[in-house]
Amino acid sequence: MSASYTAVGWNRQKKIYDWVIAGLCTAYLTLFALLTLIFNDQVTLETLIIRSTSTLAVLLLHIILAIGPLCRLNNKCLPLLYNRRHLGVTMFSMALIHGVFSLFQFHALGNVNPLVSLFISNTNYSSLPAFPFQALGFFALFIFFVMAVTSHDFWLHNLSPGIWKTLHMFVYLAYFLVVMHVMLGVIQYENNPVLVIMIFTGMAALTVLHLRAAFREHRTDSQQFSKQLEGFVCVCDVQDIENGRAKIFCIDKERIAVYRHEDRMYAIHNVCKHQGGPLGEGKIIDGCITCPWHGYQYLPQNGQSPPPFKEKVSTYDVKLIENKVWLNPIPFAEGTEREGALIKN
Amino acid sequence: MNNSEFYIGWQPQAPERLAKHSQSIVIILFLLIAGVGTSLALLQKRFSTARFEFGQLTEVKGIYQSFPVPALKVFTGNDAFGNSSFITMPLVGYGKSGAEGVIAQLEKNYRFSFDNHEITVKGTLLYSDGKTLLQIDQHDHPLVKVREAPVYGRKATIAELGTVKLTGEVLDPKCYFGVMKPGHGKPHRDCAIRCIEGGMSPVFYVRNKNGEANYYLLLDEAGTKMNSELKDYIAEPVWLEARAVQYDDWIVLYVRRGSIRRTGGLSWFKVKDGDISCGKPNGSLE
Ligand code: HEM
Ligand code: FES
Repeated sequence: MSASYTAVGWNRQKKIYDWVIAGLCTAYLTLFALLTLIFNDQVTLETLIIRSTSTLAVLLLHIILAIGPLCRLNNKCLPLLYNRRHLGVTMFSMALIHGVFSLFQFHALGNVNPLVSLFISNTNYSSLPAFPFQALGFFALFIFFVMAVTSHDFWLHNLSPGIWKTLHMFVYLAYFLVVMHVMLGVIQYENNPVLVIMIFTGMAALTVLHLRAAFREHRTDSQQFSKQLEGFVCVCDVQDIENGRAKIFCIDKERIAVYRHEDRMYAIHNVCKHQGGPLGEGKIIDGCITCPWHGYQYLPQNGQSPPPFKEKVSTYDVKLIENKVWLNPIPFAEGTEREGALIKN
Repeated sequence: MNNSEFYIGWQPQAPERLAKHSQSIVIILFLLIAGVGTSLALLQKRFSTARFEFGQLTEVKGIYQSFPVPALKVFTGNDAFGNSSFITMPLVGYGKSGAEGVIAQLEKNYRFSFDNHEITVKGTLLYSDGKTLLQIDQHDHPLVKVREAPVYGRKATIAELGTVKLTGEVLDPKCYFGVMKPGHGKPHRDCAIRCIEGGMSPVFYVRNKNGEANYYLLLDEAGTKMNSELKDYIAEPVWLEARAVQYDDWIVLYVRRGSIRRTGGLSWFKVKDGDISCGKPNGSLE
């Protein structure tokens, strides 16, 4: 979809998504501020801002990290993924407010530049209890910053999806830095274990979700196909695949989506050119295979995005012998026309 | 999900079952937000009642003394025996700096030392837990009046209290007694380091056996500032050995060289407030 980055535009779902994000953030900040002002009224405005935005950012970070595995486990969660970028940018904005206020509060008006002070004030890197936790927050914020500014599809195309994806995997490093920032920071001061319990629960939930999603993918990927014939592999029965839908098969470590469209079966590489979405979990809409993540489209017969878009994926040969679907795992060059296999009734 | 249930964001309308599912997710998210927000807000440690009279200048008259820390002795009336009583109000500078720079500049302008002179300054008061400090900022043109001749000639009431071994926390008094909440402990560590490096007189905070807070001024054995030596020991439980001397309403600890050491460990929650920064004092003055 490189021809136009506004192709997807500001549609109804995005608007609803953004309203929900705004509602969640407003609700959290208002609730946190009101309860603190009522029950702990000696608070200063700076601390209120620092704490409400930081805790909200961490909560949003957990939600963001849960969306990926949730969608792999249950595709009804896919609407959460569609506009995850905005959730990410919102999380970054909250963390930025927290970071900037902290930098002012704890480092400004001193005898050195605040950014220098951040690194030279506490230098006890060898002690865990005394560890300079603020530096950890700074590096996490830096990663979130790079991710937020490169989150637009413009960067995805300019950096190439591979580099972009690697860059965005740093979110896990940032998550680890944030956890340590909290554990070695405010938790060393607070009396109450609630924040510790929450952080551990969050970490446990994310670990379980990621492991379950990985396990499920592993199960699909480790499916063995015993019957082979002239380079073709027998993968399933014709009626296993619904019209307009696909099944994914992993052969020689490559995932291939076999689609049924009208009276033919087609096969294309399963990995979407946008952000690697699983094309085999999509559906044919208006004659195009539609990626379930953000809706990029490809023609089943040649793996090309319809003009003016320029994305292309590899295609494969399929044939039907009696009631069985046979797939040749050797890819054709991206965008190569294949006629598919005719389904005889 | 069956064939009709597929939905992608750019389609006009989501299938009903999917829309319902999304609605439930949104409700769960709102409940999560409410639960987390409520517990985190309610379970924060209580903030102190410290006050910093931000933006409000007060004129204070007193005798300036540069030792043990730059402070004003403020006359508060006569006691039952007719003796004048004073409170000692340590001076701090603007932002994260001590008051010495401001005083030095003024002394340079007037060409005499203000020590033991009565001065009237306007500044911003900050106070908590029975201690009052005054911020003087050169932008406020703090000096209202200075009497050229030393007055009262009053010497501080000095009492030797012997050697003490204490566990406590090194604070920067400006944040702790007024400006910041929390103004001590780990979250505030970097700021306290910056303040003490900026010349603020360090204060040692100890909880005695009854849980009451005691505050001491810190100087090295020779009676000079030890701000830079303290850098690595600020805002966490430390142990030290010192000679304690009372100067009116503040006690000064002349810290034995090399005696200061860290006592705290990692902790994921504290049972009692008193254990946070101080642990148990090995010796107590009060
Ligand atoms: C320049 C970057 C950062 C600085 C200087 C910084 C500084 C601080 C400081 C001083 C505290 C203790 C505040 C207090 O409660 O008294 C704190 C706490 C915290 N920070 Fe950061 N931080 C930074 C980045 C981040 C980032 C990126 C996150 C996560 C998204 C984060 C999350 C938190 C959380 C959850 C807490 C505990 C709650 C609180 O006390 O506010 N911080 N941070
Ligand atoms: S991954 Fe975004 S549309 Fe396919």
